[in-house]
Amino acid sequence: MESKVSEGDLSLKKSDLSFFFEPQSVAVIGSLREGYFGGYVVIKTLLNAGFLGKIYPVNPSYQEVLGLKVYPSIKEIPEKIDLALIMINRRSVPDVLRECAAKGIQAVIVVADGFAERDEEGAKLQNEILKIARDARIRIIGPNTAGIVNSANGLTPDPYEPGYKKVKKGAVAICAQTGMINPQAFPYGDLHYGVSKICDFGNKCDVDECDLLEYLEGDPSTKVITLYLESIKDGQRFLKISRRVSSQKPVLILKSGRTKEGARVSASHTGALAVDDEIFTAACKQAGVLRLERFREFFELPKIFSLQPLPKGNQLGIVTFTGGVGVLAIDEGEKYGLSTAPLSPEIVERLNAIFPGLGKTVVDIGPPMAVNNYMTIYSEILKAVLADDHIDCLFNVIWTSPFEEFVKEYLKFYAEMQGNYQKTIATWVYGPSIPLVNELSSGLEDLGFPVFSDLEMAIKALGMAYQYSNRKKGEA
Amino acid sequence: MMGKLSIFDQLKKEGRSILTEFESKRLLKQVGIPVVETKLAKTQKEAVSLSQKMGFPVALKITSPDVIHKSDSGGVRLSINNVNGVKKAYDEILKKISKQYPDALIHGVSVQKMVRPGTEVIIGTSKDPQFGPVMMFGLGGIFVEVLKDVSFRIIPVDRRDAQAMIQEIKGYPLLEGVRGREPSDIPALEEMILKISNFVEAYPEIKELELNPIFAYKDCAVAVDARIVLE
Repeated sequence: MESKVSEGDLSLKKSDLSFFFEPQSVAVIGSLREGYFGGYVVIKTLLNAGFLGKIYPVNPSYQEVLGLKVYPSIKEIPEKIDLALIMINRRSVPDVLRECAAKGIQAVIVVADGFAERDEEGAKLQNEILKIARDARIRIIGPNTAGIVNSANGLTPDPYEPGYKKVKKGAVAICAQTGMINPQAFPYGDLHYGVSKICDFGNKCDVDECDLLEYLEGDPSTKVITLYLESIKDGQRFLKISRRVSSQKPVLILKSGRTKEGARVSASHTGALAVDDEIFTAACKQAGVLRLERFREFFELPKIFSLQPLPKGNQLGIVTFTGGVGVLAIDEGEKYGLSTAPLSPEIVERLNAIFPGLGKTVVDIGPPMAVNNYMTIYSEILKAVLADDHIDCLFNVIWTSPFEEFVKEYLKFYAEMQGNYQKTIATWVYGPSIPLVNELSSGLEDLGFPVFSDLEMAIKALGMAYQYSNRKKGEA
Repeated sequence: MMGKLSIFDQLKKEGRSILTEFESKRLLKQVGIPVVETKLAKTQKEAVSLSQKMGFPVALKITSPDVIHKSDSGGVRLSINNVNGVKKAYDEILKKISKQYPDALIHGVSVQKMVRPGTEVIIGTSKDPQFGPVMMFGLGGIFVEVLKDVSFRIIPVDRRDAQAMIQEIKGYPLLEGVRGREPSDIPALEEMILKISNFVEAYPEIKELELNPIFAYKDCAVAVDARIVLE
């Protein structure tokens, strides 16, 4: 889907995408008809999210939309424009792009589709717009993109109706070659961990994963970067940049094309065995990038980095309501190099004093649940385990019980705990009532304790955190 | 360094892209990669005197840019123990090749010192369309052919990468020496990986390079066969 036009002389630093994410003014060029898609929706979502910059709708057939003056063309806009969104028929895109160039606009998101992803004509058009952009020193995101988000300034120009107003602010940046990550597709308003930036590269004719990585490297609100990629535009550049960026912030990548179909015919063993996925895996290892395997992980695993401190080592502590879960957790932890060692003698003693026989490697809080002052005991147990020097991270299982008062008590306790621990905690919540599980889970995430969808995901989160802490140590 | 450039130029002039085993080894030796002693004999007499100098047993292999699969075409004779054997092998190799490849350009017959078998290792490089030159490491024979127990890194490879790619393969315990097997000189293998990385990085015209097999011993490792293919 990528085009080939010579790089030319770019006056902008390759990674300077600030006009995209921090524009003072945005021109929205396209249909302003009220509906579920298009310029009207973009303007509505920008207004709903409280976008801090100016919005200039552009359309020759309208005078006003959503209380904003509409301009017949870009050149009629009296002020400087930082970012333009183009949502028009593909054949008109080159002309509008030339108008953007004349206006001195440096950042353009081409939402319009029908380019290299569709047919030969589209591929030619894509090359044409890229050439116009290079000559005018314009950077392009897209074409064929659902756009970008910056949660900090309310820049959510989504061409599809998301149905909620704001993307919750947080530290996770999400980038992909698909609109499956944009606000209309995921409940970023309800996701409790929050995101910093979102970017759908679309056909990535210009701005690509490396540009994004460089921009996010310097973005103070981003603590962790997740990428979904179908292809890498420039392997050597990707290796160099991702290695540098991942030494500062964790970079998590989900990549498609993991089959062996990419294997090339070759006379040597090396050539025949060097399939795309093997090579990409090797590149990730060299770059210190963490590789994701499933789409679900894409939204879940970044939480451990955005909400929790990194573990100092690989010693896994387990607090659970049943021994069985503990055994599964130990098995799962081994996959990622996590090991469960006995607790320190002082803590064993402290736990046994709370409840007889509690001081084991897997702290089983099922039995003490039966006692009357359970919540008091629970907080003492968790504090004791988290105080143990033998433990670097904790797999924390919580059973909601069928009673809402327990959920409230748990949340009260974790509110007190907030900021008062040094270990990495991954929590799994289960129970007999979906509303109670949801209530406790979202409450915990609001307090900064990430909750994972199942046991395996929680352990993998700890495993990745451990791997990344190793990678950081390796660089030091 | 001149030697490398001149051989690349020479190949270009001759319109071929594959270096013979003899040419490949000579080049690798120049960049400091240990290869089995290999000399080129242009006559039967030369083959005899070279093998006497090297000491028996020796191997004889056809050296021709037109014969890629040397053993399949009867161009290889191993474990020759005496002068008569060398004479006979030399004649037979040339007879077979001239029958099968009447138009082949023959550089000669290479005489190689037979070395005792070690743990078989393969190191190779190829070019990935997205990442450029990549390095592969694995155990030789069935481990690479059937089990595909290999590891990869993008070139340039640093020492930490080299160590990791050796330790990553499932057969790593075999290199450490299990069940009375001789352990392999792992630092020597690391060194080979690094030298090949430097070499391939310096010469982008190299498309593929493969040392297969390398024999690894307790205190050294040596490439027994080698092939270099240019773009």
